[in-house]
Amino acid sequence: MISAYPTPPNDRPVPTPPPKPAASDRIIPVIYVTLTIVALVWSLSGMDISWGRIATRSQQATVYFRQMFLETDWSYLPKTLKGLQESFQIAALGTFLAAILAIPFGALAARNLSRLPVLPAFGKFFLNFIRAFPELILAIAFIKAIGPGAFAGVLAIGLHSIGMMGKLYAERIESVDKNAIEALSAAGASPLEIFRHAILPEVLPDFLSFALFRLDINIRAATVLGIVGAGGVGTLLELQRRGNNWRTIGTIFICIVITVIIVDFISAKLRAKLT
Amino acid sequence: MSNATTAVNSSLVTFENVSKTFPNGHRALKNVSLTFAPGEFIAVVGLSGAGKSTLIRCVNRLVMPTEGRILVNGKDITGMGEGELRTVRARIGMIFQNYNLVRRSSVLRNVLAGRLAHLPTWRTLTGMFPAADMELAFRSLERVGIPEKAYQRADTLSGGQQQRVAIARALTQQPHILLADEPVASLDPPTAHQVMRDLKNLSREENLLTLVNLHFIDMAQEYADRVIGLRAGEVVFDGPGAGMTEADFEAIYNRRIRPDDLRGALDIVGESTGEASALAR
Ligand SMILES: Nc1ncnc2c1ncn2[C@@H]1O[C@H](COP(=O)(O)OP(=O)(O)O)[C@@H](O)[C@H]1O
Ligand SMILES: [Mg+2]
Repeated sequence: MISAYPTPPNDRPVPTPPPKPAASDRIIPVIYVTLTIVALVWSLSGMDISWGRIATRSQQATVYFRQMFLETDWSYLPKTLKGLQESFQIAALGTFLAAILAIPFGALAARNLSRLPVLPAFGKFFLNFIRAFPELILAIAFIKAIGPGAFAGVLAIGLHSIGMMGKLYAERIESVDKNAIEALSAAGASPLEIFRHAILPEVLPDFLSFALFRLDINIRAATVLGIVGAGGVGTLLELQRRGNNWRTIGTIFICIVITVIIVDFISAKLRAKLT
Repeated sequence: MSNATTAVNSSLVTFENVSKTFPNGHRALKNVSLTFAPGEFIAVVGLSGAGKSTLIRCVNRLVMPTEGRILVNGKDITGMGEGELRTVRARIGMIFQNYNLVRRSSVLRNVLAGRLAHLPTWRTLTGMFPAADMELAFRSLERVGIPEKAYQRADTLSGGQQQRVAIARALTQQPHILLADEPVASLDPPTAHQVMRDLKNLSREENLLTLVNLHFIDMAQEYADRVIGLRAGEVVFDGPGAGMTEADFEAIYNRRIRPDDLRGALDIVGESTGEASALAR
């Protein structure tokens, strides 16, 4: 009970220093370091590195490098650009599909939206599951299902991106401002209305930022998908690799790198604007 | 207009032996029975933790009582389903200490949120608000004096302006009850007094039953028709603020009144700002 006025300043308890970390806590870093070293040694032992072979091969490699970068076959440029365009379209379409479809999946996986804890648990599991498949594996599966071509690439990139973006969306929704939700709830808004008017306006700019970043990654992925037959510039790359045409491979390589750098740059600029 | 004497005639909100025990076992409200009439302007005072927020949140069931009944417009809200509760909440405005706006949305969008429970779902989900509702939102903004901020992002406004947006949002609900949970606790004294005056005027003009939680007892006395004092979840005072005695203060605060229970009257504060002293008359 507070009775005296003014309050005496020295009735606070003497602060006790926090306890020292237990010995078991200090052991843990040592365990981590040891495990890392063991893992490294084990990985290297699996490599079967033959230094002699590397030496002879690298002499051949200089020939290929010269052909790729000094004797580049620029007559192949129009075909390359067409392939790149297709890769870009595959990436853009896949990212767009995923950016939209990841919203319901992200909402399902967010712990703060549902009263039943089963739903977010299921949502998280589902997203983890589809994320576990690399794009290339998905592309091979879709090619088996619907035949080779760009659309298989779109589906592969789209599905994998739903897994990646759904997780990011869910985490963003989980960090949303509770106050605005409470206010709309107090005004009689339904859960869907709260999602539409309190949550989406706050998270949408960040969702867009995630999507742009994903587009960036997906363009890289789309350039290699053609290697397994899912359309885009990778189809040309695989064709030229089989023919050992290092001069045209050089053309394709240079164009891919320049495209990726440009997209990287634009995407970063746009994302900076969104915050 | 309305005062404590009309409260006897008609009741808009009734607490019947309401208790709230939180899941951790803490009893925040203990057998509270109260009656509130349309148009009354009521201040709820008490120490931090006395149960002020819990009491006010029971009125729109943001907090579900564990015992007793709460009647709003004659209907028991404690047993209501979600859908019916939303139609009751549609006409109860609420204002919070931290304004609780959607920060990245425009002021107008925030104010329009007061219409969500009044409109069909296809309109609220598409965001296609009827012209009449848009007009209502603009008029609310005019009434709180910031119509020119309509298209600005909510988080670009000052604290006082944000609280005005929150009041406009509540007004747009066309409420008959207004709840305010420490609405001025985050504002500087002159702004705090202005917001209190706004609330008081709106309550009069719209015949709004207004329940305001206040930490500062002098503000409660200055603005409220009726003061309810809470201590440890129990109502220990209920009456006009002007008639409060030293004994009443001690009953609420369990000790004598201290300077930090007072925010300071308008004329003291007004010395630093011309605006506030002009209001003080
Ligand atoms: N969700 C909750 N769970 C447990 N205890 C709570 C909860 N909300 C409030 N309380 C407790 O109930 C008491 C009254 O809280 P509150 O109504 O917020 O008081 P006031 O608004 O007067 O400061 C406090 O002791 C507080 O710690
Ligand atoms: Mg409180």
